[in-house]
Amino acid sequence: MNRHFELADIDHSQLTELQDRLREAEETLEAIRNGEVDAVVVGGPSGQQVYTLENADRPYRVLIEQMQEGAVTLSDEGFILYCNQRFAALVGADREALIGESIELFLSSTEVFAFRHLMASGRGTGRSAEFILRSSTGLWVPVNVSIADLKVDAQMPNVLCGVVTDLTHSRERSHELAAANMRLASEIEERRRVEDSLQLALDAADMGHWDLDLVSNTVTRSTRYDTIFGYANTVRAWGLPMLLSQFVPEDRDAVREAFSLAESSGAVEIEKRIHRLSDNSIRWVQIMGRTFYLNGKAVRISGVVSDVTDRRHIEEQLRQAQKMEAIGQLTGGIAHDFNNLLMVIGGSLDMLDQRIEKDDKIVRYLAAARLGVARGAKLNQQLLAFSRRQDLRTEAICVEDLIDTFENLLDRAVGETVKVKIEKAPEPWYCRTDPHQLETAILNLAINARDAMPQGGTLTLKTDTGRLDTKAATANGVGAGDYVIVSLADTGVGMTADVVGRVFEPFFTTKEVGKGTGLGLSQVYGFARQCGGFVSIESRLGIGTTVFIHLPRAIRADAAKTVAAPAVEVKGKGIVLVVEDDGDVRAVASSLLENLGYSVLEAGNGSDALKLIDSGKRVDLVFTDVIMPGAMNGMDLVREIKAKHAKIPVLLTSGYTAQRIAVDELAHDLQLLRKPYTQVDLSLAVQTVMNKST
Amino acid sequence: MTEDEADAMPAGQYKLRLFITGSTPRSARAIENMRRICAENLEGRYDLEVVDVYQDPEATKELQIIATPTLVKILPEPLRRIIGDLSDRERVLAGLDLAPLDKGDPGHP
Repeated sequence: MNRHFELADIDHSQLTELQDRLREAEETLEAIRNGEVDAVVVGGPSGQQVYTLENADRPYRVLIEQMQEGAVTLSDEGFILYCNQRFAALVGADREALIGESIELFLSSTEVFAFRHLMASGRGTGRSAEFILRSSTGLWVPVNVSIADLKVDAQMPNVLCGVVTDLTHSRERSHELAAANMRLASEIEERRRVEDSLQLALDAADMGHWDLDLVSNTVTRSTRYDTIFGYANTVRAWGLPMLLSQFVPEDRDAVREAFSLAESSGAVEIEKRIHRLSDNSIRWVQIMGRTFYLNGKAVRISGVVSDVTDRRHIEEQLRQAQKMEAIGQLTGGIAHDFNNLLMVIGGSLDMLDQRIEKDDKIVRYLAAARLGVARGAKLNQQLLAFSRRQDLRTEAICVEDLIDTFENLLDRAVGETVKVKIEKAPEPWYCRTDPHQLETAILNLAINARDAMPQGGTLTLKTDTGRLDTKAATANGVGAGDYVIVSLADTGVGMTADVVGRVFEPFFTTKEVGKGTGLGLSQVYGFARQCGGFVSIESRLGIGTTVFIHLPRAIRADAAKTVAAPAVEVKGKGIVLVVEDDGDVRAVASSLLENLGYSVLEAGNGSDALKLIDSGKRVDLVFTDVIMPGAMNGMDLVREIKAKHAKIPVLLTSGYTAQRIAVDELAHDLQLLRKPYTQVDLSLAVQTVMNKST
Repeated sequence: MTEDEADAMPAGQYKLRLFITGSTPRSARAIENMRRICAENLEGRYDLEVVDVYQDPEATKELQIIATPTLVKILPEPLRRIIGDLSDRERVLAGLDLAPLDKGDPGHP
């Protein structure tokens, strides 16, 4: 038939091909029939399916049983269809007992829903989640469950394959890791805290930090370091040479030496001067550091730096103040004794004058001797002024009111080559001071200014007002507040810092021998201090010197004015009790009083004097020294007399009249005669007191 | 198989594909036999690919594989399938159009 015809048409090669294919088909069938194949592949609507003919999945079973993960197949409802030995071990049950059981038996009730969700969700894809399995031995085992759907025919029931991984060890490891992390974090936190408080401490101490790496020769610094050295912008790390270049040339070698020494000694501590870059000023810095060693070799020097300029300044002021105080004590003591000596000499001269026959020569000698006593007394006065033990007659005055007097004084003092300028304060303030002493102070300053300007120049007297804050006041040893400032500026040669540091010392002078006493500035210093103020000085070589007298402002003006007494001796009558511890002085005083017509009683101390008065003897005037040794000094005696014998007038005398007497209310209406006094002085004082009491 | 594929292969080069079923002993044997035959008869002129039908069941469709193990000679044409563990060396050589070694002149039966 047709087919036969077709066959006839087929050529030989086609025939061979067909024969081969037939043989292939027969061989295939034969092989299947003989069981020489493992599996057959069957095409279907859902793709190619592989059907294993023999126990071809045995290797997989072995693998599954060997592995350290639990393996299960589950029905849609969560019943265990198969599980490996490892899974059985995880849940602590026999494998035989597990098949057919629900896996939910081993889940906590709170996780059952999540597990069902995991089984149902994402059909066709692998998915996983973590659970805690409760084994039948009561242990809770953290696990990861990974689930995949097994592809089967639509008609077949759904099967899920699960791999259960024990997370106990990994959890433990992560716990350990977490604990280690926590420790690390707390250590970091602790370190940061220490660093913070260190930084805070450094900031509070106004200290900068630096670190010199000796290996790379670089210096790293904190911001405060740069501020101290005056670097506005952050500069990269630099080496030791750069560090050294910031110091003034004179100090550089010492700094270099200190740093190289630190490599062996282990520490560096220096206080040297730098050129601050921001304002080119010279500042003192203190550098302290320690050396760090690695294998016995110095590798780093690290430490702090602080600007100690202000501290040094204050220390310098304190040293100066202490020195002046000590010198003041010394000079005050000397002046006191010296006054008594002058008193004896002067009094004796007065008496000699009255008792001996005089020719021209004797008159000249006496006059010369008196002049010597007067000059000695004047010098002594300046010493007392410096030691702040002079008798200040303070009153509230407005310095501007005295300017005219001062101007005349200055014109006369400085000569014609020096021009005098006056500048007044914008607002006249009052200050409590002794106008005569102020005048002396200005005169002393003017003489110094004149001597500083041998070729002429300008002298400027200026009054000003100002307020001192606590810091500035403390630095100058006075109280904070308002001050009247009287300054005298010259355009003279100026002074070096060394000279400025010593100018207030008594007998310190740069003038030629015989030209100055060295007491002028000492008087200014002591006077200002005694008034509750202070003196400061500014001087630049070749430019000039300005001295500022600061006097504390007073609130109101006193109307009191002293009236100059006539300088003629006045004789009188009456009984005067002379109280004086120094026998020579007492004898002189008694003689002078007798010369003036008075009768004299004597006592060597306060107690004897009081006994004498108490005994009822007539005494018209008590003339007593203020400072006496023993239980009762002059002021104590005055107090007793006021209490018991208020009618007896008292005249005080002292070579050592201290401020404390002036402020004593008892002394307010008392007359004080300054040693050394002349017969005239004494007569006037006695008259004044006796007249007042009557 | 396309014209391009045929063109890409140098003349006398064999392109073979062996279908197996995972790591069954028969599959392992088939792989062993195949390696030996290739080494002895086709040194330097064959390209052998082993396909696990478990991993890639769809790969069986193109070459109409119905059972494993099956060796398929894709090139040179004509296409031939040899079923079984390939332990019958004569049959394999015949299927590959290779004369047994003792007959000499391989490649031209």
